[in-house]
Amino acid sequence: MTSPLATAHAVAASAIGSTVGSDTVQAHGIGGQADLPIPLTLAISGAVAALVVSFTVLVVAWRRPRYELAGGGTVRATVGVGSGSALDPGLDPGLDAPAVDAEHEDAVLRRRAGRPAPAVLDRVVGSHGFHLAARALGLALAVFTAVCAIFGSDDLNNPFFGIFYVWLWVGLIFASALLGPVWRAISPVRTINAVIARLADSDPDRGLLTYPERLGHWPAALGLFAFVWLELAYAYPTDLGPVRLWCAVYFAVMLVGGALFGNRFYELGDPFEVYSGLIAKLSPWARVDGRLVLRSPLANLATIVPRPGLVAVVAVLFGSTAFDSFRESSFWVKTYQDASVSKVLLDNLALVGFCLTAGVLLAVGSALTRGGGSVARRELPGRYAHSIVPIILGYILAHYLTLWVDVGTQTLARVSDPLSTGANLFGTAGLTPSYWFSYHPTLLATIKVLAVVIGHVVAAVAAHDRALALLPRREQIVGQLPMLFIMVAFTGGGLYLLFNA
Amino acid sequence: MPRTPRALGAALLSAALLTSLTACGEDDGSAGTATSGSSSEASSTASSGAASSSAPADDAKVIDIAIKDGDVSPSGDRIEVKRGQTVELKVTADSEGEIHVHSDPEQELAYKEGEQTFSLAIERPGVVAVEDHALDKVIVQLEVR
Repeated sequence: MTSPLATAHAVAASAIGSTVGSDTVQAHGIGGQADLPIPLTLAISGAVAALVVSFTVLVVAWRRPRYELAGGGTVRATVGVGSGSALDPGLDPGLDAPAVDAEHEDAVLRRRAGRPAPAVLDRVVGSHGFHLAARALGLALAVFTAVCAIFGSDDLNNPFFGIFYVWLWVGLIFASALLGPVWRAISPVRTINAVIARLADSDPDRGLLTYPERLGHWPAALGLFAFVWLELAYAYPTDLGPVRLWCAVYFAVMLVGGALFGNRFYELGDPFEVYSGLIAKLSPWARVDGRLVLRSPLANLATIVPRPGLVAVVAVLFGSTAFDSFRESSFWVKTYQDASVSKVLLDNLALVGFCLTAGVLLAVGSALTRGGGSVARRELPGRYAHSIVPIILGYILAHYLTLWVDVGTQTLARVSDPLSTGANLFGTAGLTPSYWFSYHPTLLATIKVLAVVIGHVVAAVAAHDRALALLPRREQIVGQLPMLFIMVAFTGGGLYLLFNA
Repeated sequence: MPRTPRALGAALLSAALLTSLTACGEDDGSAGTATSGSSSEASSTASSGAASSSAPADDAKVIDIAIKDGDVSPSGDRIEVKRGQTVELKVTADSEGEIHVHSDPEQELAYKEGEQTFSLAIERPGVVAVEDHALDKVIVQLEVR
């Protein structure tokens, strides 16, 4: 729990208890009470478990892809130009590629089709009314947040910070893992774009131009980096002005993008929609041929499309969360306090370094697996990027659980008094966090390690399944090793950071 | 085919066991004695200046702090303390300033030029940063267990 928002505890409490009589305290990066580090024994057993399970998956698990058509056929169609085995002379497609047979294909398609959700549920969530209600909810939240941002006070009693850094960044992710692509349903920028389109009597799905597929998820990767930069590497992450400006720029870019490219821009370029959409692939929900279905998160995960920029999105999400753990370690604090250059500069370098390291490891690990069939080596990182998503969710859960529970609760109290006038709009003003997890540190540490290890296991299985579809049959075991090593490195690194927090 | 999901399940289970077994081996000393989380868990009995003549508690953790020429010593050290243990901050400063203890609620301790002692105790387990506010530097991180 090392967000700048952690300082929020302190300010609220001092304001309520009047122990200090000052609510003008400004956050400066470090503050609030953070979680205890996880015990060494737990960190080690977690890492050992990850290692053991990885090799178990490799050796014992299925030999034919359960969620992919052989040869990566299900995704080949969705990848644009540029694939071709001619670029990779080491390949001899056809000779090695797993044989395609109809029975296997049927089984894969069955798994991908899932089980129909209860008809009532499908009818309700598919209805126009539900659609409108979700849009209204999203818009109401956005308007409320804007009021806080514009008229609220410039201190941490303003719920704006909690809504932005905790409800949006963490809450949206947990909600997406449980319910599916939540941001797409409530996205205020989609709603505004739809209203504008309706007023102009045009189609919100279409803009002036066609979205260049080569851009892929790059706008989202940039947007996500801009968010984590504001939170973790900028000098004043809890000053009202800069955070408000960030939001204004986000809205402006999204509305212009929507006007230019239509809804396709949100699908591929809105940082929150992309993040929420990726995590939603770990939920059991999907729409297949217009019907709401329940299916294995592994089947869901396999449908992530390897677009340009996907690797960058994944790298920013994992790298930034790891940096958030790292930056409050005693090591880092001593480093920047003893350095001759500023903390902000070092934070910036380290944040970029963490994201780049994550991206390079993923790229190298997946490029070193031998390409098979029609997939060029340079496309492999994109093909394996989906398998990092469970590691991200596990680590986000481990890292932000107490922040979500404690500061999330505190934010719920603050939204009742958005303008610091003593109001109690929703009757929640009296809520205070119980800090229950703080008093149960062993349970908390166990939950963290389990989250990281389970994320790792799902990731290893997802990568295994993809590898079976991509690798020539005779290399199916050895070929997976590079990817497996970088996953163990991610998980081990994450556990080390939790131990060293 | 049917044996493979089971094998995976077994692998998962073994992972869960591996981690939870060691967890059980840990002594969770805090589980039984958790106090309710009121907003005033951290009790501060800051006494500054010459008034701090009372004898220090036997098990108090004494931390000598020097603030000089815009630098703090120690600088970002991690120090373990027990829940509720008295922590005595012995501050020697060459000018006046303020120390912030980022517990909940936050405690702000104003110091003057010269020597003075502040004592405090933190009830909630976690990591609490003790910072010099004006210099924006972390003096110590208290690891409260």
